[in-house]
Amino acid sequence: MAADRKGLTRDDAQALCNRVLALSKADEARVNVSSGWRGYTRVATNRITSAGGSESVSVEITSVFGKRQASVSTTEIDDVSLEAAVRESERLAQLAPESPERMPELGAQQYGEVNAYYDSTGAMTTQARAEAAAAGIKNAQDAGLFVAAGYMDAIAGSDAVATSAGLFAWHPQTSVASTLTVRTPDNLSSGWAGDEANDWMQIESDRIAQTASAKAAAWRSATELDPGKYTCILEPTAVGMLMLRLAFDLNARPADEGRSYFGKPGGGNRIGEALFDSRVRLLSDPAWPDAETAPFTEEGQPVGRTVWVDKGALTNLAYSRYWADKQGRAPLAGPSNLILEGGSDSLESMIASTERGVLITRFWYIRGLNPRTIAYTGLTRDGTFLIENGKISRPVKNFRFNQSIADMLKNVEMIGSTTRVAAGEDSSAGMPIVVPALKIRDFGLASVSDAI
Amino acid sequence: MLPRPVNLPAMPRAALDRRDFLKLSAAAAASMAVLPNSATTPTVSTHPTADANERDLILYALDQVMAAGADYADVRISRHWSQGVGVREEKLIEASRSESYGIGVRALVGGSWGFSATRKMDRENVAAVAKEAAETAAANNKIVPGTVELAPVKSYPHAHWATPFEIDPESIPIEEKAELLFAASRAALRVPGVKFVSGRIGSAKERRLTATSDGSLIDQRYVRISPNLDITAIAADGRDFQSRGSCVEPSAMGWEYVLACDLPGNAARWAEEAVMKLGAKPVEPGVWDLVVHPSNLWLTIHENIGHPTELDRALGYEANYAGTSFVSPPETMIGKLRYGPEFMQIIGDRTQAGGCATTGWDDEGVPADEWHIIQDGVFVDYQTTREQAAWIAPLTGVHRSHGCAYGMDWKSMPFQRMPNVSLMPNPKDLSEDDVIAACDRGVYVEGRGSYSIDQQRYNFQFGGQVFWEIRNGKKVRPLRDVAYYGRTPEFWNSLALIGGEQTYFLGASSSDAKGQPVQLNAVSHGCPIALFRNVNILNTA
Repeated sequence: MAADRKGLTRDDAQALCNRVLALSKADEARVNVSSGWRGYTRVATNRITSAGGSESVSVEITSVFGKRQASVSTTEIDDVSLEAAVRESERLAQLAPESPERMPELGAQQYGEVNAYYDSTGAMTTQARAEAAAAGIKNAQDAGLFVAAGYMDAIAGSDAVATSAGLFAWHPQTSVASTLTVRTPDNLSSGWAGDEANDWMQIESDRIAQTASAKAAAWRSATELDPGKYTCILEPTAVGMLMLRLAFDLNARPADEGRSYFGKPGGGNRIGEALFDSRVRLLSDPAWPDAETAPFTEEGQPVGRTVWVDKGALTNLAYSRYWADKQGRAPLAGPSNLILEGGSDSLESMIASTERGVLITRFWYIRGLNPRTIAYTGLTRDGTFLIENGKISRPVKNFRFNQSIADMLKNVEMIGSTTRVAAGEDSSAGMPIVVPALKIRDFGLASVSDAI
Repeated sequence: MLPRPVNLPAMPRAALDRRDFLKLSAAAAASMAVLPNSATTPTVSTHPTADANERDLILYALDQVMAAGADYADVRISRHWSQGVGVREEKLIEASRSESYGIGVRALVGGSWGFSATRKMDRENVAAVAKEAAETAAANNKIVPGTVELAPVKSYPHAHWATPFEIDPESIPIEEKAELLFAASRAALRVPGVKFVSGRIGSAKERRLTATSDGSLIDQRYVRISPNLDITAIAADGRDFQSRGSCVEPSAMGWEYVLACDLPGNAARWAEEAVMKLGAKPVEPGVWDLVVHPSNLWLTIHENIGHPTELDRALGYEANYAGTSFVSPPETMIGKLRYGPEFMQIIGDRTQAGGCATTGWDDEGVPADEWHIIQDGVFVDYQTTREQAAWIAPLTGVHRSHGCAYGMDWKSMPFQRMPNVSLMPNPKDLSEDDVIAACDRGVYVEGRGSYSIDQQRYNFQFGGQVFWEIRNGKKVRPLRDVAYYGRTPEFWNSLALIGGEQTYFLGASSSDAKGQPVQLNAVSHGCPIALFRNVNILNTA
């Protein structure tokens, strides 16, 4: 199946888009083509429990008559199926009521250069994944008959978009994630480590294996600590899991409508206001090294470098083309990756400077609690430690946190150096998140969890 | 009360012994045959019947994977059709449909599974994926050798099953769906204070042809529908907003379910609930009795009971993502763990009418089952697949698989997924008022809200949509910003009273996530209203 791992080439994608557009009888049409391969290997109970691969292509046709539009997608790209899908999208569009918020399809656009495809990931074999998995298992067993559970996920393919107004864009990309949970055989401890990248060569398999086992060894026999507000040192993965949530709030429309933290009471939004610690700088950039993403949206709208928060002040919110038009602003695509800029503090110096605090490896089951304050709940997992007098003093049981992300970004004390993290709870390669470790004061650890 | 859909029996399980069930299925299949989808959708061939080509191809794939060295294999050809119609206030924002079609092959060699899938439905590509599935399994088994013992199952060489439904959602024109949502939206927007409404009706149909190396060839069709409204009210001074969402549940039924939900008729009430929350009293945090409406309790059952009783999770197979379970190890739990009071009966099933996990056979050719997970308050059995059944058979005496193997589509490898898991109602048919009357000082919670639980399923915190303070057996005033939290074993052992059949309600999740790569499963949970004593209540503001 290796031949399909690049997805459709630029020429093949363009030819497919042109076939579809030539079939179209609508006033306007857009084609989105997504194609490629996914390969994965799972480990549990020190066995490779499953491994697999699949290749697919999906073609979505949006047909427009006046303000009426509908979309149809299919995985079948023979002539008969494609024509049927085009006709069906036209039939649905003609039946559908008008969409008053519809914007005309875009013509040709200019995009920045992004190289997001790495052969190291695209050419990765089942055997290579199995060998990396076996090394993780061996490391866990050598560490003290520990039990490994892990996941390697590789995605390779291309996305293309074309419109009847003359736009065509194509973007090939690879993504890979490798994560490992190591538990002690008595099930009284669990440790985790993981990496995510575009380039398989950036995945540090040895570090993952060693860190996961070391965390499992260190966290054993955790005891209870009273819930409360603590100074917390969040490792980069923990920070990234929360920043991933923030990405979806960086949107002007809900703010202007008065149903977002970024809305101003009485109307409008808070762009320009100092909201966070003055060192907080948050941006997205499709060309960020090893966090590369497509330089265009599914409408073909260019995505460039955008600074969302600078010196702690909100500088931008995403504007859809419709909302921008209505508000007299330029459209601005939302984040396709998210970078929280780093500082110069090491994790060691954060610990050394902490009289009493909690070190957090990562989170689990993060869910919204209060959209007015961007408050979330969730739990710590796989390594939570008490810090006393500048040293890790003992492993402590997990906590549920109830915490406003806005308050957290106000309460930043120290900032580490940035790294790409596996920020998705399911450890599949997803939106690239690049963040530092953070030391935060008054982080709300609300209740104790007995989970290991 | 949320609407009780027509045709949904108050005690659906009772209506379905195996014989009736098969009769019902056969009738549904026949009605589909006389009303082909092509009558309403002239262009795209959704759900073609299992034609000779597909049968040839699936059996060819099976031959190829076995010839490549598999000890056991199963193959699926599936076609997935879905449609979404979405509105925002009185504007259409979505009219979409999607189809996906392909073949997936799963092979077992020794103790390792391999999987491969393609959309290319020709013999050459199908042979290649069959070979790749077997080779992947063999390669992994060489690195870490093992064995798997599969629970016995009969072969079903000519099996058919279909979701019973009355009106094919695909037959309802898109403008009729949009108009229904517009009508609901208008009704909500007429309520003063309501500023925003979003609504969506998602419909899904699936055709799944399964072949196993045990000689089964099973042709099944599924229908599911997910209507919903989300209504937001903004305070007059612009400083606060409150929403009422999750107004109705997904169901494995047809368009008749949407009609029964009567979104236009109920929208004003839901809108008033959103407005009511703006002026409601902030809950005083602390320990309260808790009356949980079934529209909220189903998700609590899903998280507190459904997930921890998955056997793969309990044994560490999902440790790297979904987590493990406090219901472990099995030898210290089966027949021993007191989960709740003696009147607590929890049934796992894949047979319940309207249940999103209901099927004829699972992905390993195992016929649908129903069984006690908790009997008289004591944990007695897990959810299993063929591989897992043998692990605990000496403890349970159950040698068959409970039929919980499921892969979400042709691209996805089957593994253990949650069946419908339901709390049986009180044999004494108590009403909602009867249950509230048993509470002196409490909080009433209705509707699914934000929910979060730890990776062994101890510490949970669940929100809701609508909250009331109960005093002296009566709902006295609306509350806001409520979440309840606790530790699963203590919480369920504080269950004091449940309502009867008249309060039984089937809630559902259409996107329960598990596995790596993550797969979504649709699953229903039935339950009555319930009263819990001394529960921790949090103010989320």
